[in-house]
Amino acid sequence: MNKIFTIAKKEFLDIFRDKRTLVRMILIPLIAFPLIIQLITTLQESQSKKEAEQVLKVGYYLNGQDEGIITRMISDSLYEFIPYEDSVSLAKDVDDKEINLGIGLSSDYDKTIQAGGQGEFSIFLRGADKEDFERFNGLIEQEKTFVVNNRLTQLDKGPLYIEPLLIYHNDQSERAEIIAKYAGGILPYIFMAFLFMGSMLPAIDLFAGEKERGTIETLLTSPVSRLQILLGKMIVVVAFGLISALVALVGLFASINLMGGGSPIMEEVNGMLTPQLFVMLFLLLIPLAIFFAGVMIPISVYAKSFKEAQSILTPLNIVMVLPAMVGFVPGVELDYTTAFIPVVNVVLSTKMLLSGHIDFILLTITFLTLILLAAISVFISMRQFGKESSILR
Amino acid sequence: MIIVTDLYKEYKLSKKQQKEMSSNTDVAVPVNKINFECKPGRVFSLLGPNGAGKTTTLRMISTMLVPTSGTVEVCGLDTVKNPNDVRKKIGFLTGSTGLYERLTANEFLKYFADLNDVSKGDFEQRKNHYYDLLDMHDFANKKLGELSTGMKQKVNISRTMIHNPDVVVFDEPTSGLDVITAENIIKLIEDCKTEGKTVIFSSHIMTEVDLLCDDLAIIAKGDLLFNGTMDEFRANQKADTLTGEFIRIVNQSKN
Repeated sequence: MNKIFTIAKKEFLDIFRDKRTLVRMILIPLIAFPLIIQLITTLQESQSKKEAEQVLKVGYYLNGQDEGIITRMISDSLYEFIPYEDSVSLAKDVDDKEINLGIGLSSDYDKTIQAGGQGEFSIFLRGADKEDFERFNGLIEQEKTFVVNNRLTQLDKGPLYIEPLLIYHNDQSERAEIIAKYAGGILPYIFMAFLFMGSMLPAIDLFAGEKERGTIETLLTSPVSRLQILLGKMIVVVAFGLISALVALVGLFASINLMGGGSPIMEEVNGMLTPQLFVMLFLLLIPLAIFFAGVMIPISVYAKSFKEAQSILTPLNIVMVLPAMVGFVPGVELDYTTAFIPVVNVVLSTKMLLSGHIDFILLTITFLTLILLAAISVFISMRQFGKESSILR
Repeated sequence: MIIVTDLYKEYKLSKKQQKEMSSNTDVAVPVNKINFECKPGRVFSLLGPNGAGKTTTLRMISTMLVPTSGTVEVCGLDTVKNPNDVRKKIGFLTGSTGLYERLTANEFLKYFADLNDVSKGDFEQRKNHYYDLLDMHDFANKKLGELSTGMKQKVNISRTMIHNPDVVVFDEPTSGLDVITAENIIKLIEDCKTEGKTVIFSSHIMTEVDLLCDDLAIIAKGDLLFNGTMDEFRANQKADTLTGEFIRIVNQSKN
């Protein structure tokens, strides 16, 4: 046991002195989320501000109809209404981005509306600038309400006449449950991605790197068994995976707290992050990290060089982390099938833990499945590390 | 003491390897039932051209590889049955042995001392002995990646000897090194002999062998072609020079 820790201690020291690895395993996960969140927030704010301040140019072609419809809309100063003589030039200017939108009335619009029919009303827009239409749509809705209210008055009816049902929504699900269902996928995805990335560089450096540097022979002629060497190194690979995942989460929560302060959803999210949740998550992540290490190590042992190992493991990253995206699919839940699928079971268990409705049988199945897989992967690593043709390749 | 008995090693060849080696069989035999003994206080040289099986033999002696058949005994211990105990008795060095470049010389030596169960007192004593002997004090706390080739080889020599091994295995120890650095290795081999250690080293440089060794084995394509003392080798010499004699023996085996 002592020798395993001697090896692990040396490898920790060695990796901690490797700036390249430290940047990728600790610095990037730590600053990635604050940076991404800051960037998104800034972009959104600037876009909203721009949109709110921008005057929307709306062309209109009355086609001989009454100007009342435009007069009612014109009261809003954020729109500039420009008259057109025909719908062809109106459409062309929309197409040329001279104006944002255009409206054209049919030749019998007034008559049809007065007769209680459906007045035809064309809108010229560019589908790519959907936000412009969404903004303008508010004015159309106002006009629609104006016409409906007029008709109801003529019938001597109030607005409730066409709203016969008053519905109260009594949502029994807790807020945590809703957040877990719709946003719970992101948390395990972060864990998976950084767990894998954090383990990858040490796995390559400690096995393929050792071969490339020509230090493996020295280690193999020291009085330690191959199992001890493997376990000593594996501890470091697993630990760095977990550190990387943890650092990424710290970065995420720090950015949520710093940038999303005061929002009720953020307060709810903070309330969900209990120490029990972290303990349970880590219980699941430890065997998963061992499983990831057990997948990477045999490849790294086989590879002749750092580069060769990296070229094989980088695409594997996608294969391993892709199932974690199941967390974003609504309706997929932890059950007696998904609990047996690695990666997927951790994602769905995390969502379940976040929601607060914990099924301990399914959680136990998930945990045992991961333990079994971790044991199998350690066994495969042991076999590969014991193979002369691999280790001295 | 090292006793090598009927040592045989074979590898399965993949189809790709067969093609690359133009081999008709799916098996390669780098070492073919060889026998020799290395005695304490003597230097034994394993001589052979490239691909002769020298490295494979030394790797089996130092427990890195397991023989397909035959046995190797190091200080009375079987390398297959007691690999860990054998490793405690061995110091291993090659000309291309690398270092952990992010560690300092002190940290590097401490790591291998710990793996070899060297007590703190013994470690300090041996470390200082080699630091004095090889003039290493100035760079003891420098990262190994910052050192010159010569300095690195000094660190490697200290690492090889830090647990005071009874048997020292050198695999082409001077290969690729400059004259001054190679001289440190030659001095180390001489010191080991004086201290009564068993020394085995592989080489294909006859002048080095002539200078250092007491006993000699010549192997080519896994077969043992000569096994005897250096004096016996000289006595039976038919060519003008020792190098010429080595080439003659190797060429004769091809016919």
